[in-house]
Amino acid sequence: MDPYDVEGGAINVRFLQADSTRANFLIQNFDLATANALRRVMLAEIPTLAIDVVEVFDNTSVLADEFICHRLGLIPLNAKNVDEALLYSRDCECDGYCENCSVTLTLNARCTSDGVMKVYARDLVVSGGRPNDEIGTPVIKDPEGLGSVIVKLNKGQSVHMKCIAKKGIAKEHAKWAPSAAIGFEYDPNNKLRHLDYWYEEDPKKEWPVDETNANIDGVPQEGEAFDYDAAPTRFFFDVETVGGMEPDTIVQQGIRVLQQKLANVIQELQGGEDIDMGGFGGQSPQMNGGGYGDPTAGSFSAYGGNASVWGGGATPYGATPYGQQPPSNW
Amino acid sequence: MAPSATTTNTQWSTEFDTAKRQRLFRNPPKDKTAYPTLAAAVDPHIHSFNTIFEEGGQIDLGIKEIGTKVFLDGDQFSQVDDGASRNRLSVRIRGVFLDKSALPVTNKFAVTNRSIMPAECRERHVTYRGKLRVRMEWRVNNGDWQESSNRCHLENMSPDQLMKAKEETEELGGYFIVNGIEKLIRMLLVTRRNYPMAIKRGAFQNRGPGYTSFGITIRSVRPDQSSQTNALHYLNDGNVNLRFSWRKAEYLVPVMMVLKALVETNDREIFEGIVGAAGSKGLEEKQFVTDRVELLLRTYKVYGLHSKAKTRAYLGQKFKPVLQIPDDTTDEDAGAEFLRKIVLPHLGAYDVTESQNADKFNMLLFMIRKLYALVEGECAVDNPDAVQNQEVLLGGHLYGMILKEQMDEWLNSITFPLREWGRKNSWLPFTSNEFQRDFLPRILKRTNENIGQKLEYFLSTGNLVSPTGLDLQQTAGFVVVAEKINFYRFISHFRMVHRGAFFAQLKTTTVRKLLPESWGFLCPVHTPDGSPCGLLNHMAHKCKLATQSVDVSAIPNLVARLGVSGKSSASLDASVVVQLDGRVLGFCSPKQAKVIGDTLRYWKVEGTHGVPLELEVGYIPNSTGGQYPGVYMFSQAARMYRPVKYLPLGKLDYVGPFEQPFMSIACTEPEIVSGDSTHVEYDPTNILSILANMTPFSDFNQSPRNMYQCQMGKQSMGTPGTALRYRTDNKTYRLQTGQTPVVRPPLHNEYGLDNFPNGTNAVVAVISYTGYDMDDAMILNKSAHERGFGHGTIYKTKVCDLEEGSRRSRGSKAVSKLFGFAPGGLVRAEWREKLDDDGWPLIGAEIKQGDIMAAWHTVSFDPATGEYVNQDGQTQFFKYKEDETAFVEEVRIIGSENGSEPCTKISVKLRVPRSPVIGDKFSSRHGQKGVMSQKWPAIDMPFSESGIQPDVIINPHAFPSRMTIGMFVESLAGKAGALHGLAQDSTPFRFDEQNTAVDFFGHQLMKAGFNYFGNEPMYSGITGQELAADIYIGVVYYQRLRHMVNDKYQVRTTGPINSLTGQPIKGRKKGGGIRVGEMERDALLAHGTAFLLQDRLMNCSDYTKAAICRACGSFLSTTPTVSEFERGRKGGNVVRCRRCAKLAEGMESKSEVWEDGQGLRYTGGDDVAVIAVPGVLKYLDVELASMGVRLKFKVEP
Repeated sequence: MDPYDVEGGAINVRFLQADSTRANFLIQNFDLATANALRRVMLAEIPTLAIDVVEVFDNTSVLADEFICHRLGLIPLNAKNVDEALLYSRDCECDGYCENCSVTLTLNARCTSDGVMKVYARDLVVSGGRPNDEIGTPVIKDPEGLGSVIVKLNKGQSVHMKCIAKKGIAKEHAKWAPSAAIGFEYDPNNKLRHLDYWYEEDPKKEWPVDETNANIDGVPQEGEAFDYDAAPTRFFFDVETVGGMEPDTIVQQGIRVLQQKLANVIQELQGGEDIDMGGFGGQSPQMNGGGYGDPTAGSFSAYGGNASVWGGGATPYGATPYGQQPPSNW
Repeated sequence: MAPSATTTNTQWSTEFDTAKRQRLFRNPPKDKTAYPTLAAAVDPHIHSFNTIFEEGGQIDLGIKEIGTKVFLDGDQFSQVDDGASRNRLSVRIRGVFLDKSALPVTNKFAVTNRSIMPAECRERHVTYRGKLRVRMEWRVNNGDWQESSNRCHLENMSPDQLMKAKEETEELGGYFIVNGIEKLIRMLLVTRRNYPMAIKRGAFQNRGPGYTSFGITIRSVRPDQSSQTNALHYLNDGNVNLRFSWRKAEYLVPVMMVLKALVETNDREIFEGIVGAAGSKGLEEKQFVTDRVELLLRTYKVYGLHSKAKTRAYLGQKFKPVLQIPDDTTDEDAGAEFLRKIVLPHLGAYDVTESQNADKFNMLLFMIRKLYALVEGECAVDNPDAVQNQEVLLGGHLYGMILKEQMDEWLNSITFPLREWGRKNSWLPFTSNEFQRDFLPRILKRTNENIGQKLEYFLSTGNLVSPTGLDLQQTAGFVVVAEKINFYRFISHFRMVHRGAFFAQLKTTTVRKLLPESWGFLCPVHTPDGSPCGLLNHMAHKCKLATQSVDVSAIPNLVARLGVSGKSSASLDASVVVQLDGRVLGFCSPKQAKVIGDTLRYWKVEGTHGVPLELEVGYIPNSTGGQYPGVYMFSQAARMYRPVKYLPLGKLDYVGPFEQPFMSIACTEPEIVSGDSTHVEYDPTNILSILANMTPFSDFNQSPRNMYQCQMGKQSMGTPGTALRYRTDNKTYRLQTGQTPVVRPPLHNEYGLDNFPNGTNAVVAVISYTGYDMDDAMILNKSAHERGFGHGTIYKTKVCDLEEGSRRSRGSKAVSKLFGFAPGGLVRAEWREKLDDDGWPLIGAEIKQGDIMAAWHTVSFDPATGEYVNQDGQTQFFKYKEDETAFVEEVRIIGSENGSEPCTKISVKLRVPRSPVIGDKFSSRHGQKGVMSQKWPAIDMPFSESGIQPDVIINPHAFPSRMTIGMFVESLAGKAGALHGLAQDSTPFRFDEQNTAVDFFGHQLMKAGFNYFGNEPMYSGITGQELAADIYIGVVYYQRLRHMVNDKYQVRTTGPINSLTGQPIKGRKKGGGIRVGEMERDALLAHGTAFLLQDRLMNCSDYTKAAICRACGSFLSTTPTVSEFERGRKGGNVVRCRRCAKLAEGMESKSEVWEDGQGLRYTGGDDVAVIAVPGVLKYLDVELASMGVRLKFKVEP
């Protein structure tokens, strides 16, 4: 089959619009499951770089440590070639972090003048020893070149932090998302009737239509018969980057990750060695065990002083016929 | 729709005004507040307090009312009456002064600035108070007054008033700081003052034989705001008695006696006063009244008191001991004193003149008239539960009343040390030099002059300790803590009006009803549900409270010019009364009454003729059996009033609750009825409280939902204040990622609520998506959560006080404990992880349960070196006991006021981060609360064509039964606002049938290229397929509520038990269990889950193995056997029944004999089994046995 023969059913990608922040394209002769898989992978499983561990040396600002850390984590960092350049920290042989699995940024700011000083993302200084000279640089898009505000300092206040940026995926934490939202659409004219439009009088009048996409997809003829067997084949994507990656890289990486995942499945099925796709195991440490409390904190040893005739100060639960004796006949 | 922004600073638009707010926040205005509306909301509290101490204020008037106290020398019990008059010691108070809070003189360190700021008090957990000084005068007999000035060390709290240092930029004041806690005297609804109310109450019949249920009560308020209730009772035979309470005891006096004592009068005058002038219209029809007045006059003859002097003397003689009038006062003067203090004191409470007594006389006559009218059925009863007949007891007024009463009591208490002095000094006369010498240092010193302590007790507990009861129906619950959970809650405290604790226990619900009279005064929406429902109301946001009387000196003349005369006629159709503040100005025809009412209103709005705008002109028209007609004017403090537009002049008029029911006020401009409406509301939302106004589109919601939102708004985790660093509340909540709502009314800006964000704008999809959104659960986008949605913090303050519990006598230098590691003692490295050199926690340190928080050691004072020395080298610790990890935010070292003692107290502020977890509660602003049930991965969330994923998913089933259409409209408006960058006006009542909200916001959406109705096609995040239905998605402001699972979860497998029953104890804190009660048991039974039931009630509870004798069926007679040969060891766990056994005779075989613990030898009784029973069963057996009841159990098989 000719890969470029669109009419013949070859997969075909057509870019509608592309610049440094957005890639608007459509894939034809594709199927829904794969298209959605690509969307999901681009949203959540492309490795990028984000600040994950912060060592706080000094923080006399009004914001609490963990709050600043959270803000730092959400600052988009340049993730050029992160997939190959860095290891996942958990796969690295080092203890904690090293140059192979992380990029170190330093934030050191002190306000010495009257009035409020703002600390911006540009104040994050990337340490040397990174795999390439773009990775880890905070993404700054505003014309003044300041980047996002991290914290405001008053006279005499200071922050000094060592930020360890690590490779990760958005499935683990949203800060690793390469794109914030991915537009996804098929069948703009609702020819497939997947959607049953709700309307008051006339759905045509009441529902807005994306003219461009609708025209590309082909406006249905008046009185055209409904093909109930039809499946969606043309998918409109709109990928917008957060800044850490070029939009086309996101798409390419998405396809790559998807291929890897599929390869992994195949390998698993064939009984090959386990390739750790990563992203399922690690999680950032959370306060109080993510809210459920420390499981070990629930032990009731502290109540031992309440001894009584009933023995031990606790219910003799362990001594029930159900606990100690082995089940006899079932 | 939005009011245009103007140049003045205090005008607020409906826009976001981010830049303006930022400017204001960084440079707080120097001249005045930027939010005058907000300040006005708190004003009644501040002003009512300010009027206490001002010139001619409450205290000044109170002092006059207290008057001069007279004490007599000599032994009052001595039988010998030597005829010589005893010497009189007169004591009176000349003035009371409240100082600003300042350091005590013992502090030698602070040189320049000695004043104490409220913020400091808050941080130090002490009371913000100033010194109250009293200037007192005394003289003996008629000698010169001797001044004894500035000598009383009384202390007193003042409300925090706009201190800029370390305070909020918009600090409101109006509260007290007691031990670092902000307290507030709650406003109380009480009976309207100086208006005789017709009451029919069954309980009146219990006063004695002949008493009927009819009565007239008047709450007569003295100029100093203290009150005295007078009631007239109607008796079966037509007689009328006056009832009053004095020092919590009730007294009944024939009203005729009081009438005759007030003025020199005669029967004819009284007759005509009650019935009407002789020959006036309608006298013939008044047979009912004339008969009764005749009887009234006739029955009074039995007393044989004919003149004013004699009547007064009679009254004086009876009431002299009750009123604590000195013995040497004549009976007649005592009678005058009785009339001054008790009978209608609002018409004259001090220096009573003849004309004032005449006023009292006329008022009493009027009351009798109204009483007869009530009995006759000519007028209806007045409803004491309606706001029409109510006013507000302001915090400052109550405070002043207590202060006055305490001063009165203090003066009275001089009598005891005086008598003591007399007894010790062989009853020397007051004229002696010894008395002159001893009075100040010996006698007065003995009195308890610490009034401040009593006031502090009142403010910290809210309990009123009073010998008189202050004419109030409750003695507790006057003070509430002004909680700063968020700003909504805080501000609501100041607008809160309670009906009284007495009504809370009432079985009937009539007092809780929302009556139409409260329109515009009390918010119909903002009341909690549950036990305080309808009793705890909040004032409508435009409702004002009068804190001072207005000048009405011109009124009597004006009224006279308008045709009011002193003569009344018998029929109400011919003459009705005109009153001003409970004083009868005269009578006029009903037609004239209307003219008077209308004219005065015109003048008062116009501002001419000396009629003040705040005057309440209550014209009550004649009706058949309705409210008693007349013109009743009120000018004094504690009244509610609200602004409306007066149509004839198009100007502002203030309307009170008394006059409102008889006025025609159009709700909106189009509703004005020509020839009927006199007023129009400025805005229909004026009837809502501040909080109720914040509910967007509340007119689209079912009304209970708006009530729920008013509750939940106050429970949300928001921003309690901006100066959080200078606050040390026990527990405060803070939302880290607060936002200004996209959809909000202009009032949101006007009240400055953007300074205190209370929630987050969330993209909400109404869809049943995962199954985890059943029953009001909601699904949160995991990525939204990770980006900080709803992240909150709790701040807790722990005080480490070394002197806690040990009461150290003041002044002694016996500090026995000091902070820090014991000098010379061992300091372990692990201690230093959490603590600094000084033994105090490191800022930023993470502390877990059981971690150390502060170190201390014992010391003793070494007088030789003047230093504290530690002897044992032992370091002890304060520990963190709670089970949640926290961070040390701030450490405060609290010294003493005099600055010369070592520090013995620190306060540690801890920060507990609380990111949302499953089970935390969230709510929209429409009473739609729900718990978060899942953090759903973003990739699995449904998404729109543009890739927008909802932050929150809620179930569509939340809507049909609750009918919160307002939430839909908010969603629509929020979406349109977010798309266009607009702040949307969500004021209720802005849209109507022709011009609907949906249409307005729908068109905005259409402009942005969205569906008119707010729906969007969405795709399943899991399959990527387009969902069959289009989804309603928009932007809704979500609040995170403070109820979090982390504070609530309770689990237990084993744990502490009750030592008596063996069952688990209750209480989450103690690690107890949750009770499986009867109903739960029934449910388990009905389900047939016997195994579970046994597990709950037996195995996890008080499972016990017990030995029981099969033969006699008893637990109690079994006993373990003791081996004969191995003493001290149990006989191999063999248990026998002592009851069934026989004492061994020594003949039996060795194997049959057993021995119990006492060494007695038995045979038999070996039919003992060990069974599993609940422990309480054995306990029950023991209890019953102690009463001689034997339980016998059958054991099978």
